[in-house]
Amino acid sequence: MEKKDIIQSFKDSLFTGLIALALFGPIVGLRTVSKGEGLFITPQWGVVFLLVGLCILGRFLININSARRTEFKIFSTLSSKFSSITEDKAKHFAITGILFAVVFPFLPFTDRYFMDVAIMILTYIMLGWGLNIVVGLAGLLDLGYVAFYAVGAYSYALIATTFGWSFWICLPLAGVFAAFFGILLGFPVLRLRGDYLAIVTLGFGEIIRIILINWYEVTNGPDGITGIPRPSFFGLPFKRSPDEGETSFHLFFNLEYSTMHRIIFLYYLILVLALITNYFTLKIRKLPVGRAWEALREDEIACKSLGVNPTNTKLTAFAIGAMFGGFAGSFFATRQAFISPESFTFIESAIIVAIVVLGGMGSQTGVVLASIFLIGITEMFRDLEQFRMIAFGGAMVLIMVFKPKGILANRKPTILMHGDKK
Amino acid sequence: MSNLLSVENLTMKFGGLTAIDDLSFDAKNNQITSIIGPNGAGKTTVFNCLTGFYKPTNGQMFLHKEDNKISLRKYTDFKIAYVAKVARTFQNIRLFPAMSVLENLLVAQHNELMVASGYSLFGLLNLKTYRDKEQLAVDKAKYWLDIIGLTHRADDNAGDLPYGDQRKLEIVRAMCIEPRLLCLDEPAAGLNPKESAELNKLLKFIKTEKQTGILLIEHDMSVVMGISDHVVVLNYGKKIFEGTAEQTKNSKEVIEAYLGVDE
Repeated sequence: MEKKDIIQSFKDSLFTGLIALALFGPIVGLRTVSKGEGLFITPQWGVVFLLVGLCILGRFLININSARRTEFKIFSTLSSKFSSITEDKAKHFAITGILFAVVFPFLPFTDRYFMDVAIMILTYIMLGWGLNIVVGLAGLLDLGYVAFYAVGAYSYALIATTFGWSFWICLPLAGVFAAFFGILLGFPVLRLRGDYLAIVTLGFGEIIRIILINWYEVTNGPDGITGIPRPSFFGLPFKRSPDEGETSFHLFFNLEYSTMHRIIFLYYLILVLALITNYFTLKIRKLPVGRAWEALREDEIACKSLGVNPTNTKLTAFAIGAMFGGFAGSFFATRQAFISPESFTFIESAIIVAIVVLGGMGSQTGVVLASIFLIGITEMFRDLEQFRMIAFGGAMVLIMVFKPKGILANRKPTILMHGDKK
Repeated sequence: MSNLLSVENLTMKFGGLTAIDDLSFDAKNNQITSIIGPNGAGKTTVFNCLTGFYKPTNGQMFLHKEDNKISLRKYTDFKIAYVAKVARTFQNIRLFPAMSVLENLLVAQHNELMVASGYSLFGLLNLKTYRDKEQLAVDKAKYWLDIIGLTHRADDNAGDLPYGDQRKLEIVRAMCIEPRLLCLDEPAAGLNPKESAELNKLLKFIKTEKQTGILLIEHDMSVVMGISDHVVVLNYGKKIFEGTAEQTKNSKEVIEAYLGVDE
């Protein structure tokens, strides 16, 4: 570390402070307060200087850290240690994680709130794993993934409320519908790649949402669909007082009635659905079609020169990714018992893409970590209301600074000739 | 020696530019046919027409199979490799860099494995029929890796290999689709003399052992003269000479095309 470097990074952080001052000055510094008849401006320069100071200090630390990359690296050793732990012992990590997830509802500190957050994180994990097929494996940047989530949720809601079929019949149907929409989206975007593809998929997501708002006769427009049937435990509903001729869950098992029963059941339902998604992805990655997806991500022209049909390969990726989005959507509908187009905005797509990208493209464990990190942190700061999005942004910035390729960026070959050397 | 490929009156125009002008030539089974010419002569365009990346403006290309001849014009895109069994490599290497060497060779056997895996169904059920087929594919990959001496690196990423090895890997990857015609676009570009010599050996092996016709674009004359059975010289999209390597070396037209005319 030379003196020159320190001066350089100090200058750079002062410049950062200048930008921070320009931003925070008017936004934070001048606060409008309504007193009596008019609006008055109360300056709060102390907060501004605190924020600017933090920015300067943070930038300075980052600069120093990157300049000393070779001699002194707290952050990179920390992060590389972190990734080496999870890479070397990926299997142990996965098993521990699953075991923890299985016993989680019965841990002493687990209450209703924790369960709700856990269900939400698991939903995002499932969506992340589903999108990972399209974005991580096939390399098709899909910014409209929420459309398939919406199709799944609405198919489930409409079929269940119209025909009164059970969850277990509606779930696969919703998946099939979503897969169909995946193919529908896939066809026009076959020739597109990268940014162009991203724009079209973004448009597709919006189209679906706008149809849901405007097709009043079918979707009930912005009012949404209410009274979606709750799932039952193999025919046993979770009700305090079951209808005539019905036995409810707590009566059948001779338990005290508790609303937690249903929450716990929903938790296990989404856990199983997510694990099925994961198992399926891990399996199919090792099959020819999975390898073709990855090859397509690497080089489409080379794929064609080897006789791989890019059309079919892309469409299967879209369809399978969409199918899992649809499953997650049905789960969402049955959990909420009410859905409206409000729940399927672009920000949802953006969060799912962020989870996949920040987790490390194509890494299944990375998706889990990124979901816990992003959704968990955002939830932890729920008391701060609108400011919790700052926590979300902060979490993204942290990952981008310390792990620019995503939390777990290492890819393991799908097949080994010499076996595992480690 | 029977004909493998006949190109008849091939013409390719891009707007007002005629990249290939009424080109006809034949390539024979178990021979190495080289296409040479100055930069911009239209060599790569010929390849792109043959391998379905361009649709030629005019002319025919036939691949002979025993007594049948199939027109390559009928196939586009991936079907050239899949149905007509014409494989190619690229001027700038196109491997799948983030995938392992072995995976690269397995993607080349995609179509057979796809059928063997029952379009993924048998594979998901992990049936023995599929596992056996996959083992065969791995064995085939190993066979080729042994030949180019890269077996010890089978599990490394293709992008991590040295340049010369990437070139060789791209050639054997193309061989994994069991092509009848192998089109190589400047395989010796960027290789040192030792690597060029190894490349010559590999191409001779493919020619004699694999009964595959090779079409070669090359600037490295040590490669062209060392292994070509037949040389086609292009300039400005036209064929200006055709003959054996020895004849080409001494041809006045060829020397003029490369070095210019004496004033």
